[in-house]
Amino acid sequence: MKRTGPVVFGFVIGMLMLIQHFTPDPWINDRYNDVLDWKQIVFGTTLILGVVSLVTHHGRKVARRGGGWAYSLLTLAGLAAMPAAALAFGSGRGPYLWMFDHVQAPMQATMFALLAFYVASASYRAFRARTLHAALLLTAGVVVMLGRVPLGELIGLDHVSAWILDFPNLAAKRGVMIGVGLGMTATSIKIITGIERTYLGKGA
Amino acid sequence: MTALGENPARPARGRRLRERLGDVDRRVIFLAVGLAVALPLIFPLRLPVAVSREARAYYDALEQLKPGDEILVSFDYEPETMAELDPMSLATLRHAFRKDLRVIALTNYPGAPGIAQRILGAAAAEAHKEYGVDYVFLGYNPDYSATMLRMGESIRQTFPTDHFGTPADSLPLLRQANSYADTELLVAISSTVMAEYWIIFAGGTFKEKVISANTAIQAVLIYPYFQTGQLSGFLGGLKGAAEYEKLIGREGDGLRGMDAQSMAHLLIVCFIVLGNIGFLLGRRERGREGPGRGPAQATGA
Repeated sequence: MKRTGPVVFGFVIGMLMLIQHFTPDPWINDRYNDVLDWKQIVFGTTLILGVVSLVTHHGRKVARRGGGWAYSLLTLAGLAAMPAAALAFGSGRGPYLWMFDHVQAPMQATMFALLAFYVASASYRAFRARTLHAALLLTAGVVVMLGRVPLGELIGLDHVSAWILDFPNLAAKRGVMIGVGLGMTATSIKIITGIERTYLGKGA
Repeated sequence: MTALGENPARPARGRRLRERLGDVDRRVIFLAVGLAVALPLIFPLRLPVAVSREARAYYDALEQLKPGDEILVSFDYEPETMAELDPMSLATLRHAFRKDLRVIALTNYPGAPGIAQRILGAAAAEAHKEYGVDYVFLGYNPDYSATMLRMGESIRQTFPTDHFGTPADSLPLLRQANSYADTELLVAISSTVMAEYWIIFAGGTFKEKVISANTAIQAVLIYPYFQTGQLSGFLGGLKGAAEYEKLIGREGDGLRGMDAQSMAHLLIVCFIVLGNIGFLLGRRERGREGPGRGPAQATGA
């Protein structure tokens, strides 16, 4: 039952979601909406699990005064402060919005902005024309990089860049998408019919 | 020992040049990148910006709508990509409000409501638009796929209240527009694959017309949908924002950032070329000295 139950449940829900595409029946449509509601409830529950896991991990670190425990304390303080401010003053105004605009947003933006420096350094050191393939990749990268800014447009690289994106890039991306789509369809059919059971865990 | 008539100083000088070209200190690179970004922002060059067909299609999709039409705008990005996507969001809302379109905004990311509120508030204040009548903000709902599919049935049931806790039934705009069928266009402003999901779920399942504003890296992945017509237009990166600002005739951070981005890209290309010259000189030198004699190439960042 421990194994059969989830497989049967997966089959019924999977078939329901499949059938609703082909029928306007109101009962089926209502069940389809029920599934979507439950999907959101399950997703919301995983967020709670995430918070519990984060609190447990950092709480233990603070309690044991492990390495970097002060950072863990700061994480927990931030985790408590944001919802507390939102519950007390609302999320549309007040301290919550102030902390978002003046603490969270600049910190996240700064972390991401640092990538520009690392990308410059990494591409200088790693982008080497060691082989013909590497040279082709390097040339395409340089052309697209310059073709996507006004400076490249001045020397006509925008057309070459557009050609690279429209044809070689598009062909490769489309091939990958078709492959992924077929793979997802095959895996979904295997899950619905109970052939693929690895999602049930070990021994399934 | 050198051959008769050969200058012994030449190989040493060549090696020094190769080593210099191939091993520039990372602090020099960081400083150069900082200057390449900062100086054009302080001293603008005003490089001309050409409009791509994707940006023109994005603009046309909004421009073709009639005053009073409802559109959905999804802010699917968090603060790390604000620099790239905020200019597109602001320009889109300015364009929409200028055309008297009515905006239903939402997000699929928990970190985005603050961004959406700020931009909606700024654009609405400029255009003197009224909350609830001309625009609403639904906020964040967990699970993007269920949200997108559920909105095809009923927006009010998917979001029983707006972001501020106001019941959806009490908002005039939501009483008139309750599903994709009641809206003319969906604008997905996205830093991830979320734009693709909007195309698949809202566009594919419910035949909603979709346009998207993406980060440059995401734009590369979105091209196939534009070619097939599943996506009616898109903006790619800060360049896309600049093109769109040019089309609506309102300069913003997109156009202002183009000089800095041009210089930064040029600098990175220069560094790549320098690195490769150093690498090729080194390879030639190693070829002369025989196998296994040259120093290993650094590959770390």
